[in-house]
Amino acid sequence: MAENITNQNITQGAKTKQVYTSTNKPIWCAGCGDYSVFASINKALTELGIDKSSVAIVSGIGCSSAMPHSFSTYGVHSLHGRLLPTATGIKLANSSLTVIGTGGDGDGYGIGGGHLMHTARRNLDMTYIIMDNETYGLTTGQTSPTALLGHKTKSTPFGVIEMPVNPMALAISAGATYVARGFSGDVAHLSQLIKGGIEHKGFALIDIFSPCVTFNHDNTYDWFRPRIYKLDSVGHDPSNLNAAMEKAFEDVQTKYEKIPIGLFYKTSRPTYEDLELSFKNGPLVKQEMPTKEQIQSILEENL
Amino acid sequence: MTNVCVRIAGANGDGVESSGGLLVKIAARNGLKVFGYRGYQSIIRGGHVWYQIRIGDEKLYGHGNKVDILIALNQDGIKNQKNHLNKGAFVIYDNTKVNVDLLKGLDVKLIGIPLLDIAVTTSGDPIMRNTVAVGAVIKLLGISMEAFEQVITSMFGRKGEKTVKDNIVAASKGFNFEGVVSSYKLIGDGKQRYSMDGNTALSISAYASGCKFYAAYPMTPASGILHWFAAHDHKGVLFKQSEDEIAAINMAIGASYAGVRAMCGTSGGGFSLMTEALGYAGMIETPLVVVESQRTGPSTGLPTKTEQADLLFVMHASQGEYPRIVVAPRDIDECFTITTQAFNLADKYQCPVIILMDLFISEHIETIEGFDASSVKIERGKITMTNTGGGRFKRYEYSEDGVSSRSIPGTKGTEFIAPTDEHDEYGDLISDAFSGLDEYVEMRVKMHEKRMRKMDMMLKNEEYFVPKIENPSAKIFLVTFGSTTEAVREAVVLLNKKGFEFGVISFNYLLPLDKEKTTAILQGKKLIDVECNYTAQLAQVIMMNTGIDIKNKILKYDGEAITGEEIAEKVEKLYNSM
Repeated sequence: MAENITNQNITQGAKTKQVYTSTNKPIWCAGCGDYSVFASINKALTELGIDKSSVAIVSGIGCSSAMPHSFSTYGVHSLHGRLLPTATGIKLANSSLTVIGTGGDGDGYGIGGGHLMHTARRNLDMTYIIMDNETYGLTTGQTSPTALLGHKTKSTPFGVIEMPVNPMALAISAGATYVARGFSGDVAHLSQLIKGGIEHKGFALIDIFSPCVTFNHDNTYDWFRPRIYKLDSVGHDPSNLNAAMEKAFEDVQTKYEKIPIGLFYKTSRPTYEDLELSFKNGPLVKQEMPTKEQIQSILEENL
Repeated sequence: MTNVCVRIAGANGDGVESSGGLLVKIAARNGLKVFGYRGYQSIIRGGHVWYQIRIGDEKLYGHGNKVDILIALNQDGIKNQKNHLNKGAFVIYDNTKVNVDLLKGLDVKLIGIPLLDIAVTTSGDPIMRNTVAVGAVIKLLGISMEAFEQVITSMFGRKGEKTVKDNIVAASKGFNFEGVVSSYKLIGDGKQRYSMDGNTALSISAYASGCKFYAAYPMTPASGILHWFAAHDHKGVLFKQSEDEIAAINMAIGASYAGVRAMCGTSGGGFSLMTEALGYAGMIETPLVVVESQRTGPSTGLPTKTEQADLLFVMHASQGEYPRIVVAPRDIDECFTITTQAFNLADKYQCPVIILMDLFISEHIETIEGFDASSVKIERGKITMTNTGGGRFKRYEYSEDGVSSRSIPGTKGTEFIAPTDEHDEYGDLISDAFSGLDEYVEMRVKMHEKRMRKMDMMLKNEEYFVPKIENPSAKIFLVTFGSTTEAVREAVVLLNKKGFEFGVISFNYLLPLDKEKTTAILQGKKLIDVECNYTAQLAQVIMMNTGIDIKNKILKYDGEAITGEEIAEKVEKLYNSM
C-alpha cells in the first residue's frame, strides 16, 4: 500500500523535474543498507521537488559520510560527530535552506552524542537521518553505541556488556518533534518517512536499520525481516507521547522479537527559527550590513 | 602630566565593579583619559576584589603600579591593599566599620567617613555607601559635582527621579565631607570619550564588519563577547550559546559556509576543544574568525588571571598543515582595526584567523580616541554568484594565488559538497577509492600546495605581517607582543625620562611573519624580550623565523597584569648586566 502512495506522489507531487544525484559512485559495499537510504532520500527530494540549490546535505564521518557526495545539491562532509553543529550553523545562517543531516550510529550516538540532545531540544527545522548498522564499518568492525548486548566485534571479542542506546526514546525525551525509524529493506516505506521528516516543521530524527553486510553478521536483513512490523499496521497514534515511549522500548522488552518501525512520535511546537529575534528581518545571510548610523548608535552605548 | 591611581577594594557583591564603572564614566565624559583593571577571583560572593582606575590628562598605557587613593569597603581592603599604597596616598574607609591600625606608621592620609550611616540615612539603601565614597574621590581629584550629576542623570535616569536624586545627595555628602579637599588638578580636554574593554571593542568591530553570527560556550575571559552579542541579538546579529566549544566552532563553520561572516570565541580550555575544527575550516577553505582570550594556565589554571602562554598553541593547533593567521591586538583601539582586518583576511584567504586576546586586554577598560564607522571597509574575497564555466562548479579550482571562488548555498548552478577529506577541484573525495593511485598522489600534492600557497600570497599582498618599531633611533629595544605592548610603551617612557634611549618593537601579527623584513628590523639591535609566560614563546617564534636568539628576557607568569613601572625596574637591573 505504501508503494502505491509513493507512485502517486511521484507523478502528482513533483514541482520541478530535477536531478538530485551526482555522478559520484558511492563507496559502499555491495548490499550495504546505505544504498537504500540514498535511494529513499533521492525519492523523497524528487517527490517534494525542492530546488536543489536550496538543499544542504551534511554528513559526519563513517561509511554514511559518503552520502552528500552522491548528491548534486549543496552540502558539507564535516568532521566525525559534528554534522549536527555544522548543519545547525548552516540553518541559522540561512533559514530558507532545506538542511538534511546524514550520519551513522557511531557518529550520532557516540562521538556526536552530546550534540544530539541539544539539537533536538532546539527544534530547528531540519531532518537528521541516521544509518544505524550497529557497528563501526569504516574502521573495520568495532562495537557501536547501538550494538546489542552480547554482540561480538573486534573491540568486544567477548561480547558487548553495555546497554545499547535507545534512539527513539532518546530523541523523544530530548525534544525532537518528529521521531521515526525505518528499514533499508523497505525503500517505499523509508522514503515516505524521510519525506515526512523533511516536510515536518521542526527537528526530525529518522533512525534507519541499515545493515552492514561486511562487519555485522548478527543484525542482517534476514535477522530484521521477521522481527520488524509497521506501527501503521497496529494503529499507533504518533501524537500520543506515552504510546510512543512504550513503542520505543518494545524491542528491548520483547528481547528483539518485535521491532516496530514507522513514525513513533510527531508533535508541533514553535521552531527555533520562529522564536529567534534576529530572524525578524529574514534569514541572516540576506540581511544587510549595518549602516554607519547603526554602528554609531551602538558606540554611543559606551559613552 | 597628571595621573592618579584610584583603587576600590571590597568583597564580591559589595558593588566594587559598579562604583568603579561610575568613576570611569565620570572621568571619560569630562575629557580625561582612563585605564581601569579589575582584580577578581573565581567566586560569586565574598573573596577580595578590587578595581583599579587610573585617571589622567594624557594617554595612559596602564592601570598603574601604586595606589594614590584607596577606597576600602571592608577590613580586607586595608589588610590586602596596604602594600600597594603610594607615599602620601589617601585612604577612604568607613570609620564605623573598618579599623585602620594596620596603617599606623605609613605615610598615608586617612579619611574616615561613616559611609554606611550616610547611605542608610540618605536613601535606606546600604549599597549607596559606594556613591558616598565616589563623591569623596571626585572632590580629591578636583572634578566638579556637576560632572557627577550629569553622568548619574544619564545612567540612572530611566530608574526614576528618586534614584538619581538619592545618588546625587549621597555623593555630595561624600564630596562635602569635612577634611575632603581638592588635592589633584585633573583638567580634561573637553572631549567626551567612549570607555570600554577589549571584548566590547572587538564585538563592536565585528558587528561593524558585518559579522552576523557568534557562537560560544561561557568561559572567562571571553564571556564579555558572548554577553555583548547576546544583548545585541535582536539587532541582526545572532548569538548562539552552544552545548560546548566543539559545537560553537562547528556552528560558526556551518554559518560561514552558508555565507555569513561568522565568529566563535573562548579561552584556552575551550580552544583545546575547538582544535580539530580549525583544520576542518582550513581544509574546506571556509573563512572563520576565532577569538582565544588567554588566562593563566595550564589546565583550568587561574580562571580570572591573565597570561600569554597560548601563543605557540594557537599557532600550531590542529593536525596537519593548513593556512592560518594569528593576530594579537596591542591595545583597545587596535581591537577595532584588527577585528575588521581579521574578517577581511579570513574572507580573502578563506582560512581561519585567530585573534589572540588575554584576560588583560579582554577585560581592562580604556577611554578610546574614537572609532570611525566609515573607516570599515568590507572585503569579502572571491565569491561567485553564477556558474560562468557552464559545467560542474569547481569550488576548489587550482589558482595562482591559491584562492578559489566560493559559492553561497542557494545560488543556482554552483552546488558543491565541502569535504573535510582530501578532494579534487570539484570537492569530490580522493581519500577513499583513489588515494595512493599515481594520478591522485599528484592531485593531493597540487591541492595541498594550492591551499598552502595562500600563506605566500598573504605575505606578498598584505603589509601586516611585520613587527612595528617605535623610536627607531633608540639604542636598546624592548621586544613584545599583544597586550603587553602598552606596559612596554609605558616602561620606555619612564626609562627614557631617566636619560636612557629605549625603543619598542612590538608584534601584533604573529603568523605568518615576513621573515626578511622581520629579520631586518631586529638584526644588529640590542634586544630585551618582554612577555607574560615562562617559556618566552615570542622569543621562540622570533628564533624560528629569523634565527635571532634574544638572550635577555623579562618573563612574568604570576597571573597579574604587567605594568610599565615593573618592566622599567627590571630593565634597569638587566641593563646594568648587559
